[in-house]
Amino acid sequence: MANESGQVYGLTILSPIKEEQRLDIDHATQLRWYLCSLPKDHTSPFAKINSTYLARLVVLDDVVFVGHPACEEHLKSRYLIFETNFDGDLDGYLTRMAKEVPEFVDKVWQHCVGYPGLNNRHEFIRYMKQCQVTTTFFFADVNDHTVQQTLTALQTQSALAHFVEKTQGKPPEELQKLFGTFLSHLDAAKPPLPGDRGEKFPSEDRPHD
Amino acid sequence: MIRTDNTKIDVSDIQGFALKGYSFPHARFLLLELLDCKDAQKFILELLPYITTGVRWAHKPSTTLNVAFTYKGLEKLKLPLVTLLSFPDEFQQGMKARGDILYDTGNNGPHRWEPVWRDEQVHMWAAVYANSPETLDEACARVRQFMDNTKGARLLQPQDACAIYLNGVATPNEHFGYRDGFGNPDFKGAERECVPGQGKLMENGSWEALATGEFLLGYADEAGELPVAPIPHLLARNGTFMVYRKMHQNVGAFRNYLNQKGQQYQGGKDKLAAKFVGRWQDGTPLELSPDHPDQDIVKDDNQNTNFTYGNDLDGSRCPIGAHIRRANPRDAFGFTGQLANRRRIMRRGLPYGRYVPDGEPVDDQEDRGIIFMALNASFFRQFEFVQQQWIEYGNDAHQGNDKDLLIGNHDGRGKFVVQGSNDPRNPAAPFICAKLPNFVELRGGDYFFMPSLTALQLMGSGAVDPR
Amino acid sequence: MNAVTPMKPWKTPLLRVLFFVVGTIKWFQSGLKDLSFIHFARWVIVRRDQFPHVKAEQPREDLRYDYLFFFSNFNGTWNQYIDAFSAVLSSGLNAIWSGSEKFPGSVPVTPFKDYIRVVQFDTDYYYNCYPKATTNDVKAALRVQDELDEFRKTSQTLPPEQFKKAFQEFLVKVQADLGSTGVAPVGT
Repeated sequence: MANESGQVYGLTILSPIKEEQRLDIDHATQLRWYLCSLPKDHTSPFAKINSTYLARLVVLDDVVFVGHPACEEHLKSRYLIFETNFDGDLDGYLTRMAKEVPEFVDKVWQHCVGYPGLNNRHEFIRYMKQCQVTTTFFFADVNDHTVQQTLTALQTQSALAHFVEKTQGKPPEELQKLFGTFLSHLDAAKPPLPGDRGEKFPSEDRPHD
Repeated sequence: MIRTDNTKIDVSDIQGFALKGYSFPHARFLLLELLDCKDAQKFILELLPYITTGVRWAHKPSTTLNVAFTYKGLEKLKLPLVTLLSFPDEFQQGMKARGDILYDTGNNGPHRWEPVWRDEQVHMWAAVYANSPETLDEACARVRQFMDNTKGARLLQPQDACAIYLNGVATPNEHFGYRDGFGNPDFKGAERECVPGQGKLMENGSWEALATGEFLLGYADEAGELPVAPIPHLLARNGTFMVYRKMHQNVGAFRNYLNQKGQQYQGGKDKLAAKFVGRWQDGTPLELSPDHPDQDIVKDDNQNTNFTYGNDLDGSRCPIGAHIRRANPRDAFGFTGQLANRRRIMRRGLPYGRYVPDGEPVDDQEDRGIIFMALNASFFRQFEFVQQQWIEYGNDAHQGNDKDLLIGNHDGRGKFVVQGSNDPRNPAAPFICAKLPNFVELRGGDYFFMPSLTALQLMGSGAVDPR
Repeated sequence: MNAVTPMKPWKTPLLRVLFFVVGTIKWFQSGLKDLSFIHFARWVIVRRDQFPHVKAEQPREDLRYDYLFFFSNFNGTWNQYIDAFSAVLSSGLNAIWSGSEKFPGSVPVTPFKDYIRVVQFDTDYYYNCYPKATTNDVKAALRVQDELDEFRKTSQTLPPEQFKKAFQEFLVKVQADLGSTGVAPVGT
């Protein structure tokens, strides 16, 4: 299925944006302003739906005129492009959107034609699928681990490098003991937050044992 | 396959500095301010007959002279506005403004530079090389004479540089103790035959000279087009761009760090020093001789740069983050080295400051280091890219955010991994060097345009016409 | 990066076939994996009558061309990305985009970059679950995790001398994967 690669699902949705002549600030602009203000870090709505790897939202104003001898033409509507890559299946993801970040979904899709709201989840899912376009070719560099597994691995990588530097040259008994402690710290460590841009991983100055 | 075989270059029009390393032990870089435009033009015309070209020498001269200009210098010469604006963006901005890209921040930031660079005063660089201090002074005096006669320029500051002498003999070493100067790229049309390892790697394992346009404007480059160049064509052709960086070396800090880590490292201090760079201090490449230096290899030009990393992808011979491997990855990223072919730079460097032998106390406040100069057709694609992506960052080498140990802007953080090996004959644990200080600090520099002789004639006559 | 290019409708079925073939033969995918700076990339052909039409009041699109959308998530700078593609994947790029109107070819690189600037459009909102890690970091980290999981299974009960030896062997296996993560260089 072209929308999937390994465990990863690639969703592309083109939702037509409302055009209302009487508005001072049209829907596309309101939408853009809202998107501008949305946080991108661990407080992002997509961090809540923590099966999301990478997501983007784009307001497509029009198609491009590449120059003579190509013909100039224009779209009659503007579209909101929603492109996201996540673990799991489509229905599960859309359900999570409706359940876990309803305010965000409303604030974005209220500007789109035909958005039914979230009172009826099935309607919402049906609407989103109606706007889905099938991916023709999907490339995923890493497609066999979940987001959570990946974040944990990044934490492990950093912790291990730090451990190695601190313990190089130590005698075998001490090394083995320290390694045991290292493992229990790692196991007990809080799972990393998706989207976090802060100093998450153990810094050089923080004591390890 | 892009064919760029038909390259003929006019060596008499190209400044010699762009075509060859002179190998003189003494140099003085005169950093000049240009004064009134007409006087400055006269000054250039006075210098013109003395400028060393790329013509092959029957007998090596005792001294050479070459010149280059910053954007501000070209403005002072009142080149037409259309011409000025046609120069690449990064040259117009100057090196100081590119600090965020080059990581010239913190310890390497302009607030720590010499005033002449910090305040972007330099308009013109006049490089005098000579085989003795007396000849150097004579040659510089002549330049001063022209400056006085025409009143076209003022000396802001001379920057002396000199080879490090050991036992009375000039060596190609730099202050940390490494032999320098290997691996300059070969390009088509240059005087010598392609030395194995210096050009680009071909599918069959042989080496071919790179396209001339990687280093000279007006010639086809590796992408099969003429490099972006200023207009008019006559101004740009046979010219090139040069970056100049005064790099202070903290020799004391380096030796302390090496001594300390060398005690912990199972291979010992000398081997660790080799691992930092990718060559033993005598110049032997680790790829060809991972366990000990070998002067036979060093002395043989067919060997001393003739290696690839394809059989050492795990870094057990030459660490993945070693200096020379970062600066020129050859085939380390796969694709027969094609990703490195357009990122080569031509280096011309010379140490400055008093050399202190290993074992003697050395004060890092004292002025010593290397005057680093590199030539390329495009700062953006070549020098800036290597500096930003391969020296100050490591993602392409799969080393994450780790920086080059030797010249990276570490500020006490960061790390360098010496990969080990599971070879049963020679097992070795990986070794991590962390808390890296700045072994090198930037004290200034800028971007220069090195015009051809024709271009200099045009500039000196006020005849640059961008029509 | 996002790009949209117009294609004459008779050409799009050919492109679909190409993608299908590429998807099965995998030579292009391995090139992309080796370049190793793309997390995810996708191509979406939207035929001229396939733009989503949700309600009767919404005007139907009346277009002459089909459109090929391209979305990618990559590491490195825009210029580095395009330079690398042009240098080593040019035949793949040409195969995909030669059907797009006015595509100049991916070599030489300057006209190619000019074309991309015309056809690309900006992202309004972008989320990345690991903003300080590149796809190389991710792959390296996953290798480290796997090797560590293996190692801890067998190593804890070993006597110290043997533990140290086994630990060293484990480290050598992951020695190229211990780069730090962090903020990438500024875009140029």
